[in-house]
Amino acid sequence: MTHLLQIEDLRVTFNTRYGEVTALDGISMHVSEGETLGVVGESGCGKSITALSVMGLIPSPPGRMAGGSIRLNGEDLTQASEARMRELRGAEMAMIFQEPMTSLNPVFTVGDQIAEAIMLHQNVSRDQAFRDAIALLDRVGIPSPDVRARDYPHQLSGGMRQRVMIAMAVSCRPKVLIADEPTTALDVTVQAQIFDLLYEIQRDFGSAIILITHDMGAISEMADRVAVMYAGRVIEEARADDVLDHPQHPYARGLISCIPALGKGDLPDTLAEIPGVVPPLHLLGAGCAFADRCSHRLARCDSEQPRLIAHGHHPAACHAVEEGRI
Amino acid sequence: MTASFLLRRIGYGLLLMLGVVVLNFLLIRLAPGDPAVVIAGEMGGATEEMLESIREEYGLNKPLVVQLGIYVGNVLTGNLGESFFFNQPVATLIAQRILPTILLVVTAQVLSILIGVFLGVLAARKPNGVMSAFVSVFATIGYAVPVFWTGIMLIILFASVLPIFPVEGMQSVKLRDANLFVQMLDILHHLALPAFTLAIIYLAQYARLSRASMLEVLGSDYIRTAKAKGASQRTILFKHALRNAALPILTVAGLQFGNLISGALLVETVFNWPGMGRLAFDSILRRDYPTIMGVLFFASAMVVIANILTDMSYRLADPRLRGKG
Amino acid sequence: MSDETRTTYKAESPALEAWRMFRRNIPALVGVVLLTVIILATLYGTFFYTGDPFEIVWAPHEPPGVTPEFPLGTDYLGRDIIAGMLTGGGPTLAVGAVAAAITMGIGIAMGALAGYYGGWVDNLLMRVTEFFQVLPALLFAMVLVTLLSPSLFTIAFAIGVVSWPQTARLTRAEFLKIKNLEYVTAARAIGARDKRIIWTVILPNALPPLIVSATLTVGVAILFEAGLSFLGLGDPNVMSWGLMIGANREYILDAWWPVTFPGLAIFFTVFAVSLIGDGLNDAFNPKLRER
Repeated sequence: MTHLLQIEDLRVTFNTRYGEVTALDGISMHVSEGETLGVVGESGCGKSITALSVMGLIPSPPGRMAGGSIRLNGEDLTQASEARMRELRGAEMAMIFQEPMTSLNPVFTVGDQIAEAIMLHQNVSRDQAFRDAIALLDRVGIPSPDVRARDYPHQLSGGMRQRVMIAMAVSCRPKVLIADEPTTALDVTVQAQIFDLLYEIQRDFGSAIILITHDMGAISEMADRVAVMYAGRVIEEARADDVLDHPQHPYARGLISCIPALGKGDLPDTLAEIPGVVPPLHLLGAGCAFADRCSHRLARCDSEQPRLIAHGHHPAACHAVEEGRI
Repeated sequence: MTASFLLRRIGYGLLLMLGVVVLNFLLIRLAPGDPAVVIAGEMGGATEEMLESIREEYGLNKPLVVQLGIYVGNVLTGNLGESFFFNQPVATLIAQRILPTILLVVTAQVLSILIGVFLGVLAARKPNGVMSAFVSVFATIGYAVPVFWTGIMLIILFASVLPIFPVEGMQSVKLRDANLFVQMLDILHHLALPAFTLAIIYLAQYARLSRASMLEVLGSDYIRTAKAKGASQRTILFKHALRNAALPILTVAGLQFGNLISGALLVETVFNWPGMGRLAFDSILRRDYPTIMGVLFFASAMVVIANILTDMSYRLADPRLRGKG
Repeated sequence: MSDETRTTYKAESPALEAWRMFRRNIPALVGVVLLTVIILATLYGTFFYTGDPFEIVWAPHEPPGVTPEFPLGTDYLGRDIIAGMLTGGGPTLAVGAVAAAITMGIGIAMGALAGYYGGWVDNLLMRVTEFFQVLPALLFAMVLVTLLSPSLFTIAFAIGVVSWPQTARLTRAEFLKIKNLEYVTAARAIGARDKRIIWTVILPNALPPLIVSATLTVGVAILFEAGLSFLGLGDPNVMSWGLMIGANREYILDAWWPVTFPGLAIFFTVFAVSLIGDGLNDAFNPKLRER
């Protein structure tokens, strides 16, 4: 079966002062048209690197695609030229960033910034692009869009700016929309509105959405499938309900149990249920990266990397699960 | 841009200029010796009648406050005093020389910003590239070279080795009667070396500054957004990044203007450029205080005006400041 | 967590770390060596090479490298250029150092008071600072030197009086940043007086950028002194590099060497100082270095 976007065994490395470290260690995931894939994990686990890899925006140097493939409609993006990537970016795939406050250029009006995205990929006049931008602002629920289009980013609230970012991202009806923690910087009430908007956009445009978040509540509302990441690997992947109801990997169990009652809210920076933090990438050893924090640790966990294979319910990369000990 | 901001800015500028007038007044009184003799100029060999008329004109036997009032009143009516060395009113002397100075300073400023920013942007494309190394070495050298010495070295080079630019003055004598266009070309031809000499130091600084500023901006989130839209590298550099990186450059350009005038003083002296710097040099050697004070007044006025223009363009360039008080 | 991670987070005194960064910075070390050589040459050069720089010792415009006694040639009057080079550096360097000290003194005092007290004090002092920034520095210095009659001290004083505004702005900015930090509040909570907080709590923490600025100020002051001497506003009884260039500038098309060598000397001195300044800057701001 081929998917709209298929990431296969992707490896991304960075040159740091500790030498070359592996930020993504052979990850695979896929998303189909109209589907939402949730990618969860603590900060530093490789979620954003995955998103930037798809967009071809890994800063290079120091970053480097060291192996694997990213196929969009069958076309391998890791082999695509920079010119081809520019054609695809913003048109076929678009991204919404975490920080709406700083992700818009402060010296151009929001209307101009949306119009620019349109003009880069469609052969329309400046005036037409600006009119389209106003229509998009209207579509993402900004009141009096013709006035707001002439505003500069600093004149808008955080939630409004994120709506502008969404309008910009969907301006060319991209097939894949990547939302990297789109609501982290926003108020709780605004968060819900933004998710509603993303949901509507998906319904109207049929885009595939990759939702990167550490808000398990958002996952339970938005995602069809979930990939749980830890230290540059996917350690569990399945339908959202399966992961939420029957988490396999001890880390996924920890994440799920962090969800407060009613399953809503953000993860704290450190997880009370999972002591410790994600180890720095340059200190990863041969075994399971989670071993140090794991309460089900086995002898082989220190020496042998667990593989992501289905045991019982759905795939998880854990020796303890594999041996049926949890 | 609000008119009230502009008015307030101009009002403040006038206040600063009043300060310069008061400072001038105090400086003459601070100078050792009889102020009348100071005003007449120590080299002048002024007669007792001249001194008496100076005392009369400046009210030197009246109380200090009254003297200050008279002085300020004189300046307000355009009377900057008489140069006893040049035997001309100071205002006339300066009127003859202010345009060449403005021409030199503005040309040098424009040259240094345009070339400097261009080099800085090129360097910022590759933070560890050859161009970056060149910009930082060039900036350190540009900072360390005495501007008058650069001028002298260029004169030696262009007078003896490569005589394509005139090394002295502003106009060729034989072209004085030519038509206006030819005369303008002639002035530009003479302007080349002095303007370049003056520009070179600041050019180096702008290059370094715009490189740093561009690098900072290029790392910001909105540049990533522009890339995610599919914008080309040129659009990202010259549209998205430069508009933002220009803000600190603009600030420095405003602050540098005073230094540029100081540099022009030396460059005019080296190249015999008939401007205010040359006048300052001549009048200081003769201790012609009314002329010196006149030059100080007008040079400061140029800085004040440049600062107002900078503030205005800053507000135009940064929408976050527009409409604020 | 392994031991290795812990070592990376081990705290180190900032001054020591800055010194370690500086020591590894090759351009900065070149600057130190260059400046040391120049200072030693101007201090002790006259031991080995005695000669009055004002004395006419030979035919005018002897080119360099022709007569072994005058390796750098003679100027338009027949004065020995190398004697001028060796004796002319001392005054330039001394004026540069004293002027920088005056600049830093006025600038730090104004900036510290403005930044610490804020309110009307800040307002007043910043208006004064802006006023001084309106006066073109070299022109104002020329006026001051002329009024006070030129001597090494009046020149240093004049340069100091015209150069302090930038230091004041920098100090003020640092004070504004630091004055609300917790350790300052803590000092205030235990009842330390303003004077003590300004000088012993805030100022030491504002020092890194001020040290860099002081170094660069020395360079600017040397250029200032050279400019004033070049214009003939230096102390007429003291030989200096700027004076040598100024005195010979009418004859540059006859002889390049009397102006070239002193100019190079000024250039290399300021160059060395600015390499050191850049090195200090990098050492104090390791993050900027990675750019």
